[in-house]
Amino acid sequence: MPGVTLRGLSKRYGGVAAVDNLTLEVKPRELVALLGPSGCGKTTTLRLVAGFLTPEAGEIWVGDRCLSSATAVVPPERRRMAMIFQSYALWPHLTVAQNVGYGLRFRRGMARADRDRRVSEMLRVVQLDGFEARYPSQLSGGQQQRVAVARALVVEPEILLLDEPLSNLDANLREEMRFEIRRLHETFGITTLYVTHDQAEAMVISDRIAVLDRGRVAQVGSAEEIFQQPRTRFVADFIGRTNLVDAVAATPDAVTRGGLRLHVATADLRPGARVSVSIRPHEIAFANTADGRAGDNVLSGRIRRVSYLGDAVDYQVEIEGSDVILRVAAAPALRLRPGETVRLVIPPSACVPLPE
Amino acid sequence: MRSTVVRSTFDRSVPVWIATAVTLVLLMILPLGWLGWVSVSSEQGATLANYVQVFGDPHLQKALWNTIVLAFWVGTASLAVGVPMAWLTGRTDLPGKRVIRALIMASFVTPPFLGAFAWVMLAGPNAGLLNKIYRGLTGSDDPLMNIFTMPGLIFVVALYSFPYVYIMIVNTLELIASDLEEAGAILGASRLRVALTITLPLAFPAILSGFILAVLQALALFGSPAILALPAGFHTITTQIWSFFQYPPKVEQAAAFSIPLLLATALLLQLQKRLLGRRGYAGVGGKTGARRPIPLGRWRWVALAGVFAVLACTIVLPYAVLAKAAFAKAWAQPLSWDNLTLANFTFTFFEYSATRDAVINTLELGIMTATVGAVMAALLAYVTNRRLVPGHQALGFLAVAPVVIPGVVLAVGLFIAYTRPPLVLYGTLAILFVAYLTKELPVGYAQADTTFKGVHPELEEAGRILGAGRLRVLREITAPLAKSGIIATWCFVFIGVIRELSASIILFTPATKVISVVIFDLKEEGQFAAISVLGLFMLAMTFGIVLLMQTALGRDFLGAKD
Repeated sequence: MPGVTLRGLSKRYGGVAAVDNLTLEVKPRELVALLGPSGCGKTTTLRLVAGFLTPEAGEIWVGDRCLSSATAVVPPERRRMAMIFQSYALWPHLTVAQNVGYGLRFRRGMARADRDRRVSEMLRVVQLDGFEARYPSQLSGGQQQRVAVARALVVEPEILLLDEPLSNLDANLREEMRFEIRRLHETFGITTLYVTHDQAEAMVISDRIAVLDRGRVAQVGSAEEIFQQPRTRFVADFIGRTNLVDAVAATPDAVTRGGLRLHVATADLRPGARVSVSIRPHEIAFANTADGRAGDNVLSGRIRRVSYLGDAVDYQVEIEGSDVILRVAAAPALRLRPGETVRLVIPPSACVPLPE
Repeated sequence: MRSTVVRSTFDRSVPVWIATAVTLVLLMILPLGWLGWVSVSSEQGATLANYVQVFGDPHLQKALWNTIVLAFWVGTASLAVGVPMAWLTGRTDLPGKRVIRALIMASFVTPPFLGAFAWVMLAGPNAGLLNKIYRGLTGSDDPLMNIFTMPGLIFVVALYSFPYVYIMIVNTLELIASDLEEAGAILGASRLRVALTITLPLAFPAILSGFILAVLQALALFGSPAILALPAGFHTITTQIWSFFQYPPKVEQAAAFSIPLLLATALLLQLQKRLLGRRGYAGVGGKTGARRPIPLGRWRWVALAGVFAVLACTIVLPYAVLAKAAFAKAWAQPLSWDNLTLANFTFTFFEYSATRDAVINTLELGIMTATVGAVMAALLAYVTNRRLVPGHQALGFLAVAPVVIPGVVLAVGLFIAYTRPPLVLYGTLAILFVAYLTKELPVGYAQADTTFKGVHPELEEAGRILGAGRLRVLREITAPLAKSGIIATWCFVFIGVIRELSASIILFTPATKVISVVIFDLKEEGQFAAISVLGLFMLAMTFGIVLLMQTALGRDFLGAKD
């Protein structure tokens, strides 16, 4: 089972770069999610890998096969991949069995009986046995989705591509299908690229996440790494909710903004440099309830707004002596009121400095 | 890494695209280029003398003016009839909507020149049936109406142009959410007020563009003016261009006189495109779910009577008089058992020498043009929809460009282009084929374009990634999905071809007559019975094809689902 390597990939539309010198390595049997807002180039990247688009520059390798380079491009039908589309792209004039069996027809030397057996086996895996003779229009959205999955897996592709496959499902089904896709990945172990704009989906399904920003990879890593150690302002802001404080480095391990001074998670800042600091709302505690440890940042402030969210309460706290407003997520048991003065405790490890 | 580069094979579809593009350029550029050149040429070289001569002639100025008058009033009359009918059938609880729609569709496909013939028999000043009935009832010596007048001409042309307005507006009304109207009603506006202050302004771009379509129809029409204006002693641009080809032919003047018609058409279509392109307020977003028809109350039956009065004039009376003339020994005599005969059919199909050849020519041309046209339209629409070649937008533009060329003008261009080497086609069916293909391509392309817009590209990509090559995907996935749409394209082109008169009338020779030309000849001979027989034959063929098309599409072709 080979992996996928993208090297310096670029694709422009008009004057605009949709994918801009993008480099990414997917290891064998790994599932990597391409995550980003619309227009970040994630779908373009996937379509470049599939061969529906031709890059202006860069190379695409699967194992030791070069699929796309400056000199030659392999057409999609010879890339030994399979893809699951956002629209499912089931052929309405073919039955479920014909849809699923379509790709097997291009296997030389595969007997018809063999093909039929593989199709019904795969339909059993996606729990659609008995639906062979139906047409796609006679199936529910979830069932259509599973036909699309079966059609892609039955050919035993080297690489599986998924383009926002869950975005047409309702919320409950979507959550169920996340686990289903993860389970299938663990069963078949196919190297997979998965495009989504939904961070929760990416976190549940993937081994690693590549966050894309304006056609480039902003950061690659496990869900935990990306959430806890974002490397750019864009990643910190896009993944989960966060407070971003624009400040200036005062010492190698502390930054200031007005009267606000924060010790941060690193000790290699260049004094005088502009630094943004990301602080997750749930990592800030009220001193009323938690005693800080030595070295923690302790700030005083006043509560401006309180929003009750059921499982948590969202506070907006004005920090004394500065123009910074921090959002703090706290357990609902603690009911503070607007106007109250509070003390906040923030461990330096929660203050992640981001290079500008 | 060890490099095992697989070279991509040569895409075998490329030559197909290139051939299509070249054909298209030839169809358009050759006739129009010659037309423009001849209009400024003389034995002494380039000149504007032809234009000076044509536009200085008071007779020709009069023909220009007549055309403007005709076009304006046809547009206005089409609005006056088409807008209320569209609102009534699209928005209210008017009874019998299905029948009304079917009849309007019938007016849409009725060849206008057949309607004009029928109205000659209905409202000719002397023998016209309606005038005879009127004289019988009142004892008056004067006719009720004389169809051989400008108002008569406007009346008849409008009867077959208003469906353009109707279709335009019905389709727009379907996009305007009922909520928008109900929002007005909840604020206290009456039904009429809602219609006037909300629905009407929302549909305004569609109304204006319907007006332009009707005007264009009137501008380009040859048959009805030839039948009604010539006996009345006046010309329009199209009949004037035709008369330039009567012996001795004055091709340069015909060319010079064609250019303003071409420019006017191009300009008006551009305007119409702008109007429709200005989305936003007519674009009418939101959920367009349930249609709640507006109750008409006691006005229902009044409205219904009005609608049927119009449809009686477009369909019931003309078809009845054609049928009567086809089956009667003498068409002007009252209907009785003695007067019934099938002799007209025997005469038309077996004794009148020109007919059989014309029927064969028409069918041959219809099938050939429809087949080649549908294939070409499908290829072009596919190339432009899938952006397969650089410059695909230009191809799409060229495919619809012939729409600006009125049939008569196209015929002048083709006449000039193909009466000289390298391609001498004049006198063969081939020149008619080229004319029909060019003329019908925009309609065919539009239909094919809609078809391919309905086939999601991901359906093809899913096949590619699973191992099927481009041509295989085309054959196994795209073709089956586009089949019914392409059959409809074929039908559209076929119907357009068998009724074509305005280009045929200039390009035919005695050996290459088609049915419409024979009908026109028969009129010169006063053979009303034979005209009616051929007319009914043409209508039967048209409606047969319409039925085929509706079966293929599963809906009526005005756009409504069953």
